[in-house]
Amino acid sequence: MLDLIAPLADYGFMRRALIAGLALSLAAPPLGVFLMLRGMSLIGDAMAHAILPGVALGFLMAGFSLPAMSLGGILSGLVVAGLAGGVSQMTGHREDSAMASFYLISLAAGVMLVSLGGSSVDLTHVLFGSILAVDTTALLLIAAVSTATLLLLAVMFRALVMECLDPLFLRGQGVRPGLIQGVFLGLVVINLTAGFQTLGTLMAVGLMMLPATAARFWSKRLEGLMGLAIVIAMLSSTGGLLLSYHLDLPSGPSIILLAGIAYLLSALFGRYNSLLVRLRRRAAPLDTSRNGAASA
Amino acid sequence: MSHLRLDNLSLAQGARTVLEGLSGSFPDGAITALIGANGAGKSTLIQGIMDILPPLAGRIDCDVPKERRAWLPQQLALDLSFPMSVEELVMTGSWPTRGALKGYRPSQYRQARDVMQRLGITQLSHRPLGELSGGQRQRALLGRTLMQEAELLLLDEPFANVDSDTVNILIQVLRDMADQGSTIVVVLHDLEHLARLADCVLLLAGGHGQWTTPQEVLERHGVTGLTSQAPFVPLNLSDSSPCST
Repeated sequence: MLDLIAPLADYGFMRRALIAGLALSLAAPPLGVFLMLRGMSLIGDAMAHAILPGVALGFLMAGFSLPAMSLGGILSGLVVAGLAGGVSQMTGHREDSAMASFYLISLAAGVMLVSLGGSSVDLTHVLFGSILAVDTTALLLIAAVSTATLLLLAVMFRALVMECLDPLFLRGQGVRPGLIQGVFLGLVVINLTAGFQTLGTLMAVGLMMLPATAARFWSKRLEGLMGLAIVIAMLSSTGGLLLSYHLDLPSGPSIILLAGIAYLLSALFGRYNSLLVRLRRRAAPLDTSRNGAASA
Repeated sequence: MSHLRLDNLSLAQGARTVLEGLSGSFPDGAITALIGANGAGKSTLIQGIMDILPPLAGRIDCDVPKERRAWLPQQLALDLSFPMSVEELVMTGSWPTRGALKGYRPSQYRQARDVMQRLGITQLSHRPLGELSGGQRQRALLGRTLMQEAELLLLDEPFANVDSDTVNILIQVLRDMADQGSTIVVVLHDLEHLARLADCVLLLAGGHGQWTTPQEVLERHGVTGLTSQAPFVPLNLSDSSPCST
């Protein structure tokens, strides 16, 4: 057992990777829970693609400079979110179609930019990340993003809950739900940007959504959902890192696949609405009739 | 002077003018029924009063601050899959005093328990919203409104798809609220509820409004006198001629 976790103590790069993973696991899953509850699970995926051209531009202009790439990612994510919202409001079309259009444009533009200015190795790094190459700058950025996210979530928690539950009530109270949604999407973007260095732009959203969707099978309480999602994300991050080290696997996919296994197991055996619960529920009327027969 | 006044008000939904030249005052501490055929502009007027729909012309003068206005919309915006219990929903009515940041006070939890007892939903306090019936949900929503201590209450078809026990409780609670000074505007669709609840009527038809009394409406439908035993007949006002105000 000790041998299994020894690399975390023995190697600095593993410790930095672990801390980065745990920090991301603290902040991203609560955002995933809110995305899921708002029926916006796929918006996280779209935003993950939307940050790509900014990251690519940062890379082209400053090389592998994390601040430049992160700033580019944040800007392009916010621009796409703003454009999608703006086009939707102007045309009256649903926001998801505008978002889908813009993220596809972003993805193509991002891949094109990286291909023009870099190599396939660079492209792979941007798309899939490298958690084992987390340096102090990246760690500080991730820690700062996680801290800011948790603080902002705490401050806007009640407003966010109300905006999910009953936006008309908030409007009636003179609060603009668009403002809350804007700040929330901003948090999603900065978390995805923090995650791209370690997990890659395409997989950063995995640590946000998979723990949240898995937790849905275990709790009907908001606090429970968020707590469980964080625990699942932390276990996936730690387990994925160790798996990656011992079996010589890529770290990002290992972490996300572990979170995926947690989701599949939850869907099969979870406490609420899982396959197992549904199978048992089907048997319930038989028990009732048996009780009725016995009492008669 | 009344807390809620309409002055030559016109409201539109998109490019379609729904209400035109509407004037008058809603009496304070009384229940005004909004009646009219589908599409007559009842919900549009309520959206206008809530400042969600800006007037096309004229104005709405409302002295009640926004946080003291409560609205139960017809199209429920409530996300019933959201993981929240009845008690938590009722507690959200503390928003006007606690806002987004301040914690709830013990006195507000006590108030929420009192409200739930009054509405007969104490036993449901920990039940998730998604497991409530239509009537239970309406009671919980009215509980939130009671927590708001609303001075102006706007209800859009509150008795639709609701059982008779719930109707009786809601009518009693609304009557008590009006007696304590709240101004209540309620969209109604049947004579029994009109007879039992309303003090005043604003009849909407053809884009215009006519202020009248429940007695007049009941007489027009062949019911003499106000009685709690008024027949349960849906109002059909599609043949009403436009009224000048």
